[in-house]
Amino acid sequence: MQFVVKKRKKMTVAKKRDLLFYIALMAFPVIQFVVFYIVVNINSITLAFKEYDIAAGKTLFVGFENFKQAFNMITQDSDLVAATGTTFAAFALTFFIGTPLAILFSYYIYKKLPAHKFFRVMLFLPSIISAVVMVTIFQFFVEGAVPEIVNKLFGKEIVGLIENPNTRFATIIFYNIWISFGVSCLMYSDAMNGIPPDMIEAARMDGATGLKEFWHITLPMVYPTIITFTVVSVAGIFVNQLNLYSFFGNASAVKTWGYWLYTQTQQATSEADYPILSAMGLLFTVITVPLTLIVKKLLEKFGPKQD
Amino acid sequence: MAEAIIKKKSKKHDTTRTRLSPLTVILLVVLSIYVLSMFVLLFWALITSFKSQQEFRINIIGLPEKFVWNYSFVFSKFVYPISTESGTVNVGMPMMFLNSFLYAIGCAFAATITPCITAYLCAKFDYKFSKFMVVLVIVVMALPIVGNLPSEIMVAKAVGLFDHIWGLWLMRANFLGMYFLVFLNAFKAIPKDFTEAAKIDGAGNFTILFRIMLPLVRNTFFVVMLIHFIGFWNDYQVPLIYLPSHPTVALGVFNMATTKENGLSTIPMRMTGSMLMLIPILIIFIIFQKKLVGNLSVGGVKG
Repeated sequence: MQFVVKKRKKMTVAKKRDLLFYIALMAFPVIQFVVFYIVVNINSITLAFKEYDIAAGKTLFVGFENFKQAFNMITQDSDLVAATGTTFAAFALTFFIGTPLAILFSYYIYKKLPAHKFFRVMLFLPSIISAVVMVTIFQFFVEGAVPEIVNKLFGKEIVGLIENPNTRFATIIFYNIWISFGVSCLMYSDAMNGIPPDMIEAARMDGATGLKEFWHITLPMVYPTIITFTVVSVAGIFVNQLNLYSFFGNASAVKTWGYWLYTQTQQATSEADYPILSAMGLLFTVITVPLTLIVKKLLEKFGPKQD
Repeated sequence: MAEAIIKKKSKKHDTTRTRLSPLTVILLVVLSIYVLSMFVLLFWALITSFKSQQEFRINIIGLPEKFVWNYSFVFSKFVYPISTESGTVNVGMPMMFLNSFLYAIGCAFAATITPCITAYLCAKFDYKFSKFMVVLVIVVMALPIVGNLPSEIMVAKAVGLFDHIWGLWLMRANFLGMYFLVFLNAFKAIPKDFTEAAKIDGAGNFTILFRIMLPLVRNTFFVVMLIHFIGFWNDYQVPLIYLPSHPTVALGVFNMATTKENGLSTIPMRMTGSMLMLIPILIIFIIFQKKLVGNLSVGGVKG
């Protein structure tokens, strides 16, 4: 802030008042940011290099010891090796199934086809219902009602879809795609609404209709939005819990990294458990930052060009 | 829905550009199935909440033969045990609702007013610091940080905000995120003429902000706060960690689903709890559905 003051040595009273007002209102957000962003993250980084000596009640600097330990856990602990697989498999499945579906159906809303207003409202519904409520209902539905329905229709006895280890993962992936479908649909249709109408008129003059219009106009025009959403989901890859905590609490057999980090932090009995978690978080951050940048650059380079 | 259909029919003439093709029919069918699946689940939960456990055992999918009012039972009997210095204390459902309300409304307000005021300062005051703040928000948004929760807990404890609802209000009062950019654009779009006249009349900065500027963005403010409110109301993971002695409804319902200790762990009872938590949100949704759905682009693609 000092440079501002220096530059305006001969300030008028009004300008002084403006500056005072500015500083008075800016103070809180800046302090809040310093404490809950800067301090939190610096503390998180230093924590990764420390160890708690509980007996002596003090912290020791241990260098890269936590990272070594974290790395060993990631590569050797069978639970965590599986978590890496699950994390990426879940990302690939939800992303590559969910995104095309959302884009396809958002076209319906965007084109104002029959009952699009009704669908707009209904697609919004899943995003306002709490994960706890939705998961609870879904869980008991597939565990209780689905076997009952199958029994009534086909006379076959089946186990609940989540109880059955063979269908558990698929069911959870299904749930995640199902629940996020509505809102992604609406977001893409909103992006499509931003397409200038005269562009579509021009394409029509050239004889583009239906699928051609979708492929040559709509898709390239919403491509920047697709990039944004993709980058956001890549950035969240190690944070995504896949709603596992809502399904199983601490006891999930299927684990993602987001789930594991949250449960470990939540269950930590003392601050002595924190350094290793911080080290892992830092490792993932170091992976995620370049990963998102690479994905963004690749998508920008190889995407359809707007003309 | 009827309204939507009538409007659609009157509009049909000017949307000659789109006709029903086999593809759009398929899309319509699948979308209908999707919406229907949502309804089936919610309806199943609703009818289950009116069954007794005995009936549910034999009648899982049908309508209840005898309606049982589980709601008052859950509302009065469900408790969430918390440990205090003087031993375990049971927090009842009314208290959980109060906690949820205080947590959600306070956090929603804090998480809306902070980006709003900060964006106003950055949009209307031409200091270098303003430009710095805008860049800062964009950089932070692009920087995915994983696993700083332990550190955040430590900091919250160190500054004395841990386990206080107002502590979370302060923690959520940050300007970062896309709503800052939404407010920034909103304020930038307001022409200077609006304030010039007031300035000539001798209005101070505070008068301009609170009497002229904030009323102009009140719609955006309201929608952002509503979206935040719904999010905080539904959230249980943050209260689970930060508010060990102030359980919210979401946390209560979550706990109901995972502990088998109390007699309320039957499926009809859990559905009742879920419905209790859902009702306030559904009411809000029904009242403000136009505002929420119409302004969704606020939450997505403007950035």
